[in-house]
Amino acid sequence: MDSPLQSVPLFMAGPVPIMPAVVTTWAIMAVLVLAAVLLTRRLTLVPSPTQAAAELLVGAVDQQIRDVTGAPPAPFRAFIGTLFLFILIANWSSLIPGVTPPTATMETPAALAALVFLSIIFFGVREGGVGGFLRGFALPNPVMIPLNMLESITRSFSMFVRLFGNVMSGVFVIAIVGSLAALLVPIPLMALDLLTGAVQAYIFAVLSMVFITSAVEKGDPQPKEP
Amino acid sequence: MSFDLWTLGFQAVNVLVLVWLLHRFFWKPVAAMIAERQARSATLLNEAEATRAEADAALADLEATRAAIAVERDALLAAARKEAEATGAALIDAARAEAAALHDTAKAARVRAAAALKDAALEDAQDLAVTIARRLAARLDGAAIDAAFLGWLVQGLTDLSAADRKALSADSLEVISATPQDAAAQERIAAALSAALGTPATPSFRTDPALIAGHELHSPHFTLRNSWAADLDRIAAALKAADPEQKAGVTSDAA
Repeated sequence: MDSPLQSVPLFMAGPVPIMPAVVTTWAIMAVLVLAAVLLTRRLTLVPSPTQAAAELLVGAVDQQIRDVTGAPPAPFRAFIGTLFLFILIANWSSLIPGVTPPTATMETPAALAALVFLSIIFFGVREGGVGGFLRGFALPNPVMIPLNMLESITRSFSMFVRLFGNVMSGVFVIAIVGSLAALLVPIPLMALDLLTGAVQAYIFAVLSMVFITSAVEKGDPQPKEP
Repeated sequence: MSFDLWTLGFQAVNVLVLVWLLHRFFWKPVAAMIAERQARSATLLNEAEATRAEADAALADLEATRAAIAVERDALLAAARKEAEATGAALIDAARAEAAALHDTAKAARVRAAAALKDAALEDAQDLAVTIARRLAARLDGAAIDAAFLGWLVQGLTDLSAADRKALSADSLEVISATPQDAAAQERIAAALSAALGTPATPSFRTDPALIAGHELHSPHFTLRNSWAADLDRIAAALKAADPEQKAGVTSDAA
C-alpha cells in the first residue's frame, strides 16, 4: 500500500505532473456543474422535488451564513457554499472503488486553506479598505499585531491540517482494514467515513465563514442585523 | 512525504473555477428564484392585505349604511306612526261628526215622522169626529139643530160692532147651510139676519154638506163660520196648538 503522504503523478503534461487528485477534482467539478445546469435548467415558481431540494440547500447555506455573520448572505454564498459542496463530494468520493479523495492528499486541503486565507484578506479589504483591514491586526492593542498575524496564518493552517488529517486517516484506516479483511468489515468504517466527511465539510465551511466575518468586523465594525 | 506545488496551484484554480461556475449555474439562479418567489409571495400578501383592507372598508361602509338605514327606518316608522295616529284621529273625529250628523238627522227624521204620524192621527181623529158628528146630526132633529145654529149665528152678528154690522149689511150676503133650506126656512133665516143687522137682508142660499150642521154667513169681505165643521176645525187647531209633546219634541230638537 502506498503511503497517503506520497503523491504519484498520473501522467505528465510536459513538465507539469498531473496528480490523481487533480483528475478527481476535475471529475467532481464536471459532476457538480452538470448537476447544477440540469437542476437550474427549468426553474419554476412552483418547484419540482429536485428544485425544492436545491432551494433547500441554498436556503440552508444562506441561513448558516446569516446566523454566523448577521449580514446578507449573497456576497459569501458562492464561496462558502461551493467550499462545502466540493469538500463534501470530495470526501464522499472515497466510496467509489479505486478513487482516492482529493482531500486525502495534502495539496487539496492546502489549496482550500490558502483560498480561505486569501478570501479573508479579500473580504476584509473590500469591507474596510486596506487600512481598515490592517488596523484589525492591532486590536485590541498594537502589542497583539505579531500574534494576530501569526494567528491569521495558523488558523488557516489548522484548517488545512484538520481536513487533511481527518480524511487521510479515514482513508488510511479503511485501507488497512481492507487489506486485512476486504469483505464487509470496512463497511462500518466507510459509513463512519461518510459522517466524518460531512462533518469536516461543514466544519471547514463554517470556520471559513467565521474567519471571514472576523476580518470583516475588524475592518468595519458595524452592528449586526437583527 | 511529498508536496507538489503544481498540484496546489491546480487545485486552487480548480476550486476558484468551480466557485465561479457554481455561482453562475447554481447559487445565483436558485437564489434568484427564491427571491422571486418571496417577492411574489410578498406581492400576493400585500395584495391580499390591500384586498382585506378594501373588504374591511367596504364592510365598514356597509355597517354605516346599515346603521343609516336603521335610523332612517326608525324615522320613517315614527313618521308613519305619527301620520297614522293623525289620520286615525282625523278618521275618528270625522266618524264621530258623521255619527253625530247621522244621529241628528235620524232624530230630526224621527221627530218629523212622529209629527207627521201625529198629524195623520189628528186628521184621522178629525175625520172620525166629523163622521161621528155627521151620524149624530143625522139622528138629531134637523129643525131644532138649524134653529140652534141660527140662534148662534144671530148671536155672532150681535157680538159684532155696529160699524162692522153696518159694513156687512152693505155687502151681498150668502148663507151656506149643511142641509137644503126650503123657502120658509130661508125667510126665517133672512128675517133673523135682518133683525140682527138692523137692516133688511136678502141673502142668497147654498148647501154644503161638509158643514155637517149649521149655517155660515159669507160676504166678499167677511165670513162668519157657524157650523160643526167649523167647530171641529177650531177644536183640532186648539188641540194642535196645545199639544205639549209636540212642543217638547220641537224644543229638544232645537237644543
